[in-house]
Amino acid sequence: MFRYNLELAFRGLRGFPKSTVLVVLTVALGLSACMTTLALLHVLSADPLPGRSEHLYLAWVDTVLAKPTNYQSLNGVTQANYRRIKLADAQALLSAHRAVRQAVVANMAADEISADGKHAQRAQLILATSADFVPMFGVALRYGRNWTAAEDAAHAPVVLIDTELAQKLFGTVNAVGRRVRLRNTLFQVVGVIAPYAPQPHFYGLDSFIFSSDGGENLYLPYTAALDAGLSPRSADGCDASYKTVSRLGWSDPAHCASLGFWVQLDTPQQVAVYRSYLTHYVEQHKALSGFGKPATSQLFSVAQWLKLQHVVPDSVRLNAGLAGAFLLLCMLNVAGLLAARFLHRSGETGIRRALGAPRRAVFQQYLLEAAAISMLGGVLALPLTLLGLWILRRQGSDFSGLARLDPLMFGGLFVMALLVGVLVGLLPAWRASAVEPALQVKSA
Amino acid sequence: MSIRILFSTLRRHSMMPALVLLQVAVACAILCNVLFLVWQQLQPMLAPSGVAGNQLILVDRLASPQRAFTTAEVRGGEVALREVPGVRAATAAFGLPMVRGNLMDIALQGPTGVKVGVNGYLGAGLIDVLGLQLVAGRDFLPSEYRDFGIGGTHEKWSAGGPQPIIITQALAKRLFANGRALGRLLTDPSDKNDLGYQVVGIVRHLLRNQLGLATNGRADDTVLLARRIASTSTLSYAVRVEPTLREAALRSVRKVIQQHFGALLPTGITARVSTYRSRREAVFKSQRAALGLFAGITLAVVAVTVIGIMGLTGFWVQKRTRQIGIRRALGARRADILRYFLAENALIVSIGVAIGMLLAYLGNALLMHYYELARLPWSWLPIGAVVMLLLGQLAVLGPALRAAAVPPVVATRSV
Repeated sequence: MFRYNLELAFRGLRGFPKSTVLVVLTVALGLSACMTTLALLHVLSADPLPGRSEHLYLAWVDTVLAKPTNYQSLNGVTQANYRRIKLADAQALLSAHRAVRQAVVANMAADEISADGKHAQRAQLILATSADFVPMFGVALRYGRNWTAAEDAAHAPVVLIDTELAQKLFGTVNAVGRRVRLRNTLFQVVGVIAPYAPQPHFYGLDSFIFSSDGGENLYLPYTAALDAGLSPRSADGCDASYKTVSRLGWSDPAHCASLGFWVQLDTPQQVAVYRSYLTHYVEQHKALSGFGKPATSQLFSVAQWLKLQHVVPDSVRLNAGLAGAFLLLCMLNVAGLLAARFLHRSGETGIRRALGAPRRAVFQQYLLEAAAISMLGGVLALPLTLLGLWILRRQGSDFSGLARLDPLMFGGLFVMALLVGVLVGLLPAWRASAVEPALQVKSA
Repeated sequence: MSIRILFSTLRRHSMMPALVLLQVAVACAILCNVLFLVWQQLQPMLAPSGVAGNQLILVDRLASPQRAFTTAEVRGGEVALREVPGVRAATAAFGLPMVRGNLMDIALQGPTGVKVGVNGYLGAGLIDVLGLQLVAGRDFLPSEYRDFGIGGTHEKWSAGGPQPIIITQALAKRLFANGRALGRLLTDPSDKNDLGYQVVGIVRHLLRNQLGLATNGRADDTVLLARRIASTSTLSYAVRVEPTLREAALRSVRKVIQQHFGALLPTGITARVSTYRSRREAVFKSQRAALGLFAGITLAVVAVTVIGIMGLTGFWVQKRTRQIGIRRALGARRADILRYFLAENALIVSIGVAIGMLLAYLGNALLMHYYELARLPWSWLPIGAVVMLLLGQLAVLGPALRAAAVPPVVATRSV
């Protein structure tokens, strides 16, 4: 019976070629608009480090010795706050070693020059961090080794570079043992890593959020970086006693909150313990009360952090909403067109019913026809979606370059197509199967 | 033919009209919101800038955070820029149109108590350099300027009375009850100790540099302050050139900036030197992309709705061919049949539009919640309604004409 109904459904498709084309086109248009926007939303709200990010937390203690500003802008101007801390606190938290792993993180900018001075990469973004970063954040080592906590403490001039930079500076991916000059200091390459660029760039949102062309290509101990005269690019506030304005590409971490501090905590219990440790830590800073500041500490999971920093642009969500509304319109449209063509065949339905076909069989026939049309629409929606994503990638904003259709969304497209077909077919199929056989046969 | 016949037909066969009605409602809700979004994007693009756009070259991203540029270095840059052939005027500035990196965020309160957030442009002789049109009052006097710098010399305006301010016409209207602003005082609502401002001049237009706020009559919320840029860690220049020599001047200005500041900038920072026109292009790039997208949505919504109404009505006309024939046989004219279908469509679309306007408002409330968007003004709803009604009539015209062409003889067939 099912096969017979299927055959009838396909016969129905061929019977009204004009309306079939119209319905397929409408479904394809609605589906592709929806899928294009959803694919982008999916890419942007994806977990930056699946399997790892749930154990990573950003720790923050507010020890900046300055009065909090209570300026209210009538223009909606707000100062970004990336919850960074000062050097002394970073060192104290690092040496306390209360988490499973912990790392200082700060973006800096530098010219990277090979020791012989022949090859250079100008104005590159680099990451000053500490030894735990590589195991904590899942950076893959290709050659050599990571630097050690002892080297952090000894301010050792060592670096990790990625394979692309190794190729550019030294003409080989295995650049272990070579030396690279940053400002006036020579750093020894101890390891080469695979290019690393999780999206969004959650541990350095001050530099960029999304990037289509990779992240930092060089990692070095923050102690050695500061010794070399490199500095974080911005800060979340400075001590009031510190006069130099700290913004625009340079800040002094000794006086300004400019270092991110990430910890790895594997169990909820560890999280709770670390939270109370932070509270306790900041309460010891008696000087803060002189500036009218309550002792503040916070611990953010990666998901909380991305939400707080509003990482997914509003416009992407807005477009997904609009596309959803458009799909609804397309579905209503298709429901109408299907109802028209099903009722057009009332005579045929009447004969089937008069010959003994149960109402269920007729219903199934029409529902199958609707699903088949919708699946055709889904097939056509695939190239349209790819076209839509291609257009998005050419928009040139920093996140649109990431728009891709991954296997999950690819499957989602067809599930959605089927769902749309069934939903859209329900009403017309029910209406068509409710035809009274006698009435139709008489007038046919 | 009475309206009762219309209703009774609709009641008896309710699925088709219900589907048309729902389509119209959803389409109306989408269109109202999308057209409103288009308007929000268009406003900053359409707002008059007030500056001599084709004569301007802007320089920014000059930053020296470790050691602020000295006053001599800032002045030296100005002098060198003025010597470039084709340059009519040049000044160091903070806050410039189409430059979004440096924002001067100022709050003003008028005598009526109304508070307005404005953007400020600072620099000596900006009226002349930007080519602004002064409609009342005067420019700042050379003696009125005081030094300003970020992280360098910043003279607080703490003595010598309120600081002179030049505002735009639009601001004068908003801040003062009768629009007469010259010589009157403004206060800073966020700082009780501030000496406030005295309006000395009014310019016709001046587009703010927080372009996201340049909507709903706020595009001209911009002021000029009597400040001369002195020692500062972040610096920009406005340069006015002869329009015919602009390209040559642009190259020379680049060279001069590189000579003066190239060695002073830290790694990773390069000065940006470009014409006002090219900045405008770059700044509105995302707006244009959004407009393209919204235009696409509008077109698709209109097409789908028209096709939907045409398809459904076409089928419905076909179903009622015999009834139409009978009516024609009983004496109805072609025009009556045509009018009947047009009226029927108008009725359905009107109900759909009524529901659609409600949906549009709910949709807007949702957008306001998730997206920084202004409230959809009531005046926008009738626009959507009229558009939908016209679309409905257009879509039904074909099927209605076909219905009107049904000959009376059909009534006698297949009975």
